[in-house]
Amino acid sequence: MPPAAAFERRVLRSAAEHHYLRVRLELPDGGARPSVAQFKQLVVSALRELHGEVGAALPVDVLTYEEKTLSAILRVVSSGLVKLWSALTLLGFYQNRRCAFRVLQVKPCISISSCVIWQQ
Amino acid sequence: MVRFKNRYVLCEVVSEDPRCRQCIEDRAVGLAVRDAIGRVHGDYGLACCSISFTVKYLNAYTGTVLLRCRKDSYRLLCSALPFVRQLESRNQRYPCFLNTLHVGGTIRTCQKFLIQYNRRQLLMLLQNCTNEEERRCIQKSLLSCSLTEEQSQSGDEEDDDGTETD
Repeated sequence: MPPAAAFERRVLRSAAEHHYLRVRLELPDGGARPSVAQFKQLVVSALRELHGEVGAALPVDVLTYEEKTLSAILRVVSSGLVKLWSALTLLGFYQNRRCAFRVLQVKPCISISSCVIWQQ
Repeated sequence: MVRFKNRYVLCEVVSEDPRCRQCIEDRAVGLAVRDAIGRVHGDYGLACCSISFTVKYLNAYTGTVLLRCRKDSYRLLCSALPFVRQLESRNQRYPCFLNTLHVGGTIRTCQKFLIQYNRRQLLMLLQNCTNEEERRCIQKSLLSCSLTEEQSQSGDEEDDDGTETD
């Protein structure tokens, strides 16, 4: 049985302007990996499918992207966090290949010192 | 907190093409609005607004449309109405746009607003009409428009004549 994950949560009172998500794209078939531009386009198209043009206009930035592991850190305005997270959850296909987004971490600020920290 | 609250959005279909009037029917308008919501707000918005969405009242002569939706999603509906660009019916499409006139909680408030609005529109038509014939027609309509409370609850809010001046 895997050990219980250590979990620590500190809540920050003032609302942060941006939220940062660490995500990983899973492409089970060993095909070509998307570049950073294609990755961003995938995120925007997921938003467009679920939330329309208004969702696609949400300011989302890809701060870091590793093509080898297909993991990235996304930044989004705090009011759009729910839209982005739900759109990533419901995305199923990339260029007709099955895929899935795994959201690993969500933080209101990028630095470790003064924000919500989830330790896994 | 037991009943479902609705919002009724009163709009006006404005088009340069006079043939657009024959295209104003509830199915065509409903499909056009749904399509616009789907484009602007995606699957989530479309599903949210479609819960209790229907075209409650339609007047092809004046181009008045009354839409109903849930109170929780009326903002999605109202923000998508400017994106309706054409009406399509029977394989004919005409460009048009929707003007939102009023948002009310019940059909009765929308009807009251529509009566006042149509009275003001008739007065404006009277000021703008060019020849004597039209002037007499409009004056007759103005003098005869009234809300009669009948047993069967059928209220005629305006007595608009068939001749359009625009």
